[in-house]
Formats: sequence, C-alpha cells, structure tokens
Amino acid sequence: MEKKIKLRVNGKKHELEVPTNRLLIDCLRYDLGLTGTKEGCSVGVCGACTVLMDDEMISACITLAVMADGHEITTVEGLAQNGELHPVQKSFIQYGGFQCGICTPGQVVAAKALLDENPKPTEDEIKDWMMGNLCRCTGYYKIIESIQKAHQFAR
Amino acid sequence: MDVPKVAKSLPGVESVSKIDDKTYEGALTVRVGPIKLNLQGKIIVEEQSKENWRAALRAEAKDRMAAGAVNGKTNMVLKELSANQTELLVDTDVNILGKIGEFGQPIIRKKADSMLKEFVENIKKQLTA
Amino acid sequence: MIPFEYRTPKSLKEVHATLKEFGSDAKLIAGGTSLVIMMRQRLVRPNCLVSLRSVRGLNSIEIHDGGTRIGGLATHREVESSSLLRRRLPLLAETYHHVATIRIRNMATVGGGLAHADPNQDPPPTLIALGATVKATSADGSRVIPLDEFFTDYYETVLKPDEIVTEVFIPKMAPNSAGAYLKFLPRTADDYATVSAAAVLTLDKTRRTINEVRIALGSVGVTPIRAAAAEAVLRGQPLKAEAFAEAGEKAKEAVDPVSDFRGSAAYKKEMAGVFVRRALEKALANLRQQAKPKPALKAIKKAIKKAIKKGKKR
Repeated sequence: MEKKIKLRVNGKKHELEVPTNRLLIDCLRYDLGLTGTKEGCSVGVCGACTVLMDDEMISACITLAVMADGHEITTVEGLAQNGELHPVQKSFIQYGGFQCGICTPGQVVAAKALLDENPKPTEDEIKDWMMGNLCRCTGYYKIIESIQKAHQFAR
Repeated sequence: MDVPKVAKSLPGVESVSKIDDKTYEGALTVRVGPIKLNLQGKIIVEEQSKENWRAALRAEAKDRMAAGAVNGKTNMVLKELSANQTELLVDTDVNILGKIGEFGQPIIRKKADSMLKEFVENIKKQLTA
Repeated sequence: MIPFEYRTPKSLKEVHATLKEFGSDAKLIAGGTSLVIMMRQRLVRPNCLVSLRSVRGLNSIEIHDGGTRIGGLATHREVESSSLLRRRLPLLAETYHHVATIRIRNMATVGGGLAHADPNQDPPPTLIALGATVKATSADGSRVIPLDEFFTDYYETVLKPDEIVTEVFIPKMAPNSAGAYLKFLPRTADDYATVSAAAVLTLDKTRRTINEVRIALGSVGVTPIRAAAAEAVLRGQPLKAEAFAEAGEKAKEAVDPVSDFRGSAAYKKEMAGVFVRRALEKALANLRQQAKPKPALKAIKKAIKKAIKKGKKR
C-alpha cells in the first residue's frame, strides 16, 4: 500500500510515494539520501535518530513516514545555513562534544531545539532536556559544556 | 489419555489433529491486549503410563509471523489420596523464545499462569464429570 | 511490518466509519510511540491504521465544571507544559514530565497512553489518586468511566474495539488538599519505575484530621493498583506520624509485582510499602507548604501594618 506524502525537509519541499509501513528514518536516509540521522536502538530510547518535526524533537525510528505528511522536518543536515555551521555545531567542534560520532547528529539536533527555546540554559536544564540522548563515548561532560558555550558562536 | 481432549483444555487451542501414535499437530491462539499470537506446532507424547497414572507431553510451537516460539514440557500425575479423592499434579516448564520472549517476560509469565490455571480447572471438570 | 492501509479521517464520525469498514483488525493510532514499536516487532499486525492525528478539537486543556478537562489527543508534552495545569494541578503536570523522554512526550497522547494500558506507566497512578474519569466515545455515543475501573489486565481495558478516549476529567480538588507522585527509578531517568506511588490527601479545616485520601501504585501488578485498604486505615482518622507507615504496610497486601531486571517481586513489594509512606509524607509536606502565606503576601501584610501604625502615630 503506497501513499503520496508531501513534506518539507530542511526547508526543501518533497513529494514522495512511500509504502505505509516505511519508517520516517528510512524515508530520510534512503528515499531522500539524508544519511546524517542514525538508527541506534530502534525503539525510540537512545536518541540517535532525533529529528525535529515542526520544531519539536521526535524519534524517527518509531515514526511512520506517512505521519510526517504535511509537516516540516529538520535533520542534522539542515542545521548549517549558507555553508556556515550552526553555533551548536561550532561549539561541539570547539569543545570536543563528540568522539565516535554515532550519537552526535541526534545530540546536535536536540541541542539546537533546546537553544531555540532557551539560549542560555543552566546545566540542570541541559541535563533535563538532553536526558534522552545517550552517548557511550564521552561521559556527557563535553556535550554539556558544548551546549553551555554554544551562545559564544551565536550568529 | 485422550490427547486432543487434554490439549483442548488449554484455553486458546483451536485445533488438534493426530499424526501418529505419539505425535499430534495443533494450533493455539493467545491474546494479550493488542498482541495476538497464532502458534502452530507439535505435541509429542513422551510418556503415557496407565499403571502409574502418569503422562508427559512435550510441545513445540512457532508463531506464524515469526514473532517467536514456545516450547514446553508438562508432566501430569494422578495420585490417589483416598477412596474418593484424587490429586492431580501438573508440572509445567515453558520456554518462550524470540521476540515475544524478549518483549514481554512479565506479560507472558502472567498470561501463562492464568492459562495454566484455566487448563487445570478444565481438566478437573473433565475428571470429576 | 506487514503492509496495511493508512487512513486519516478528519472527524470522529469518519473515524468510526473507517473502523467499521476495516473491522476488528483495524487499529487506532495517535502518537504511535508504543504501537509502532510493536508493529516493527510484528507483535501487532493491523490491516489498517486509523490515524487520529487529523481529528481537530480533541487536544484542549481547560477548566470545566470547577474541574479540569483534558482532550484525549493532548500530548504528554502539552500536559506537562500547560500553564493552566502547572497552576491548578501541578502534581499532574509533574507526573507527565516523568514519562520517558521529550521525544516520546511530543508524540504520545493522554488518551493513547491510557488505552495502551501498560501498568508501568506514570500518569495512571496520579490520575487515579486525583479521582479522574475517562470519556470513551464510540459510534453509539459516549460513556464516562472512573479510571480506577478502567484497567483490566496487562494492555487491556474496558474499552470496546471502536471506543476512543476523547477526554480525561479531573474533578476539582477539595480545599486543604495536596498530592505527590514518587517514582522509584532503577537505572536511568527515562525508564519505567521499580515501583511508583501517588497519594492525594485532603485534611479538614483544622488540618488535624484526614477527611479523604486516595492512594494508587504503578508497576506492581498487571494494572495500576488503587490501595483501598491503605486508604481505609487513614480516612476519617486524626493525622498521626505512624499512620502513614501503617498505610504503607497495608498497601503491600494489595500488590502483586513480577520479578524482572527492575527488582525482584519481594523487593518491589517491600518498596511499595516504603513509597506509599513517602508519597503520603510528601503530600502532607506539600499541603503545609501550600498553607503558608506566600513571601510576597507576607511582605504586603507587613507593609500595610507599618502604614497603619504610622498613620496612627500622626
């Protein structure tokens, strides 16, 4: 069963025909070639697949592509503007907020969503927001620091 | 021992058919909320002794949609306590494999417990009839 | 996932018509955070998903009849961030904040969560302790169900296949009431609880007698459990330090937890008693905190007293 869907991804309009059982993460990665978003646990717990739907964080691995019909999706590829990295990306690079990188797209998208709502969050606010993005490498210290200091790179 | 009759005492058993003296084929449907399992498998009579009033059955079943498998062993012993009192001992060991096992240990265990309770009740009814 | 039809009806009438069209193998989907996982594992295999996401008007949060009405399609996130709820029912907003992660809360709906009926969820114990009722709507009309009669088994409720949870209603809290929800987390903050307990206390005017108490537990059985026996030892009784511990002990008798990686059944039973006691203590502390005059009010009262004194001196 195929369905026609219309969605805006990173500012660009797309009209696709997808099977009803296509997951959003597979649609983004395979139908649209946006492989930045990673699948970690497949049950919506680890946060590696974090994308924004209408500016709100969701787990792409447990969302059907058809559920995104008519909505706006932001992936990690959509953070940079006009060839310039988003402040949170610059901060992650400067302060070493990643090691192997597998959780990073999810971390960075989640962090952007936080900073859009709260440009100078406290450590507790960061921890509460980012709690659903797991990392096996960094121990989280540098991720928190990168987010705390992202305002230094504000456009 | 009438194997199909015993098997049908387990709630959810939909069909039991004989393959040979010791093997039967069966289908069992189990529902837990939105989850419905259609298990299909074999029941093998490992021991059946009229003198000792014992029976041992072994079952292996797979879910059609490959969500997992169930295998189990059950030993039944009838003990005479007095002239008109008989004790039925049912000892069952069930293993749940695959996704259903992974996903819902607590749910499955509770469901299995309630199914076994009903099974024993049904057997009791048949024996006292 | 096996193939299925996906329908997006725009009204409840259309939803019911679609459910009728596809029969008992159709499933309703709202946020899908539990359903899609089960479908990915082929544990649930509907022939049609009837999405509620395009049905308007079912996600409001408003005051009604002195109580609070929450639409079945309101998301967990909408409930935790609602300024109305944070003011009037902070216990409820806090409880919804405990659920999983923000990503899940952005999609998971109030009605969908209740219909899913996982006994490890956070909202049900609090909602039961608040005396909440659920409105279930089918093609034939609606009925109101008290939440402590709603859950029947793991993943099972009294809902008929075509009934949708369209509303949750929390009655007005009596004066001198406060509550608490405590979640005993085994490992990570986004996990289910080892045990959880919600308690809502109502004291009399003198604040020395317990007029009413409601206690509910999560993660200790195949459904959320209302600890009626524990409530009975407190209801109508004078407020005593030992009373809460006694209620905790009584609550242990009502639970039937399963052993799993969050704790053994024996441990969970023990903790049920501990957390009921602690939830009652916290509810009392919240009540006393509520009763204290607020700092700003205190300052104003002081300033008025001073001004009156000054006026008298002249």
